Amino acid sequence: MSYEYFMSMLIPMLEGAKATVLLFVIAIVLSIPLGFLLTLAVRSSIKPISYLAQTFIYVMRGTPLLLQLLFFVFGLPLLPVIGEYLVFDRFVAATIAFILNYSAYFAEIFRGGLISIDKGQYEASQVLGLSKWQTTVRVILPQMFRVTLPPIANESVSLVKDTALLYAVAVPELLHYAQTVVNRDFTIIPFFIAAGIYLLIAFGLTVVFKYLERKLQYE
Amino acid sequence: MSFIEVRNLQKSFGPLEVLKDISFDVQKNDVMAIIGPSGSGKSTMLRSLIQLEQVGGGSIRVDGDYLVKDGIYTNPTDSKIINSKMGMVFQQFNLFPHLTVKQNLELAPKLVKKEKANDYGHRSIELLEKVGLASKADELPSRLSGGQKQRVAIARALMMDPDILLFDEPTSALDPQLTKEVLQVMKNLAEEHMTMIVVTHEMEFASSVANHVIFMDDGMIIESGTPEEVIKSPKEMRTKRFLNYELSK
Repeated sequence: MSYEYFMSMLIPMLEGAKATVLLFVIAIVLSIPLGFLLTLAVRSSIKPISYLAQTFIYVMRGTPLLLQLLFFVFGLPLLPVIGEYLVFDRFVAATIAFILNYSAYFAEIFRGGLISIDKGQYEASQVLGLSKWQTTVRVILPQMFRVTLPPIANESVSLVKDTALLYAVAVPELLHYAQTVVNRDFTIIPFFIAAGIYLLIAFGLTVVFKYLERKLQYE
Repeated sequence: MSFIEVRNLQKSFGPLEVLKDISFDVQKNDVMAIIGPSGSGKSTMLRSLIQLEQVGGGSIRVDGDYLVKDGIYTNPTDSKIINSKMGMVFQQFNLFPHLTVKQNLELAPKLVKKEKANDYGHRSIELLEKVGLASKADELPSRLSGGQKQRVAIARALMMDPDILLFDEPTSALDPQLTKEVLQVMKNLAEEHMTMIVVTHEMEFASSVANHVIFMDDGMIIESGTPEEVIKSPKEMRTKRFLNYELSK
């Protein structure tokens, strides 16, 4: 196999990987804070807010991501009355689906993290006179992030792989270009290249999260 | 006037009455030991003073101001001021694990009192020297022994310059050797006339350091007086039985 031929496969795939990485970055950057807000909503003493958040999490985790993707990309415009205002670019619609889906998972992770924090931490903060906000920001959150880092890393790697679902809603990404070359040239090499690129991204994430874990270590 | 005045304090968890008509006084510079079997309500009583528990009835007055009057709490602003006169040391230390020893001490002065870095920086080192842990200032709590953690917790409480320190079984999670170093720090505080209420199982400490002892059982104060009266020559049957058991351990 010539170098030129290899590059002719790799370059469109790298182009596709751009969409993969872009989706990943946008989804992770927005779904983590959104997930945290959801956790707060679930724990809210205002019951309707809590129930609404719980229902949202239940639906998002209880239905396939692929179904949600299809719904956001192809389903929204078909809704009566409001449908015509919900026609987005396919990449945008798919990204919204990813953000909402992953925020539900992150919300569950953060909820677990908050539960794991000893109530003595709240009591110590209270007797020292810290406000609720100061307690949350200076005492609880730093501990929660440390506890939840491993599951967050896990979800992040899942997200990288789930970006391949874009294939199903016809948004060109890494796997799409691999499949195109496979069909065109009857070769399976693009699948290996695609696997290599996914592994490379996953490896990069692992390194970053391991570094964060070490840096935030306090045990 | 007493520094702390507790009158007819009552509290229930559901149908279970944990505090029944508790009344006592604490004077400035008192060291009061509260003894009694587990489940007697002594921790609940202590925690009520600093609002970690809500009482159902009775009054708590601190430095002349009512925290609770006949079961009704004062407004949040005043209760915050009342709380700030008290410090608390827990059985499980409750240090902030993600902060260094020094940061543990400095967090509240910085955030609550808005002190300048210069002020709390000096004081934290002074207090760490006082509890013998200046060399551990930059360590994380996980690197300390239980006794060291508790001494840090005492220093952290002292950073807020409280008028009174409440100790909730401060040595119950420690082995005898580590217990000694914590009790020594508390003894030193007593000698400096720090006002303290100590819920404890350490009878030796109660009889040698406290000037007032309360024996609680079943949510009531059964006996109250000087250590000589309550520990050396108890009058009540229940007190005698408890002391026999404690001292035979």
